[in-house]
Amino acid sequence: MAAESMERLADRYADRAVRSVFLYTREAHPGENYRHHRSIDDKRANARAFVEHSKVRRQVLLDDLEGTAHRAYGMLPNMTWIIGRGGMIHYKSAWTSEADIADALEGVLELQANRAKKQWVAFYSERTAWSTRDMNQFKAGLLRNGPQALADYERMIQATRASRTAPSDEVGPRIPGNYYRTEDESGPR
Amino acid sequence: MYNYSVFVASQEEFNDFAVHAPKVTMRAPSFPLEDLATGKIVQMNELWRSEVALIEFGSFT
Repeated sequence: MAAESMERLADRYADRAVRSVFLYTREAHPGENYRHHRSIDDKRANARAFVEHSKVRRQVLLDDLEGTAHRAYGMLPNMTWIIGRGGMIHYKSAWTSEADIADALEGVLELQANRAKKQWVAFYSERTAWSTRDMNQFKAGLLRNGPQALADYERMIQATRASRTAPSDEVGPRIPGNYYRTEDESGPR
Repeated sequence: MYNYSVFVASQEEFNDFAVHAPKVTMRAPSFPLEDLATGKIVQMNELWRSEVALIEFGSFT
């Protein structure tokens, strides 16, 4: 997760009536050092460690132990949502990308400023976005969680590769690099 | 199990996010959350009452 870039983004938009928060969920990659939550105190302790380690300045809000809010919003580990003033969902992303969020925020603020004044009309749209990932940094983060976290991740990668020999048309909005490839990209199936 | 002890990727989660989670243009659901700093309960809809809410979901790990 790009905590530093999201902190900078929050600072940049704070004086434009954008309230940025971090909603703490279950542990995505639990390990020996940061275990899964068996109580709300476990969750608080890991959240405090995260705030200290990542120097989080945004308001941190804890979901309940059962993940009620997390489940209702789709339960992905690093997703971001933008909710407009009044409660309309303007943006949902399976992955947190500072650049993509900034682009979306500009659109939301522009729409809110012009909706009544210029009678702009919102419409539904979907699109892809992109992100980069530093695998060395990602794996260093897994090791910080504990050796188990890295071992579990590598086991998952092997299993996913083994099950992806026959591409399916039903590919969802997965994490970067894990998406349906057209014939141009992968050759005829 | 929501708080799993061993990470196992679920293909269904990504499909659920696209198909079953609320979509843009819909009304955002609201739930009570705990402010880590104060321990007070915050209703999610307070976040977007007078401002645009930018909500990142995640964890330390």
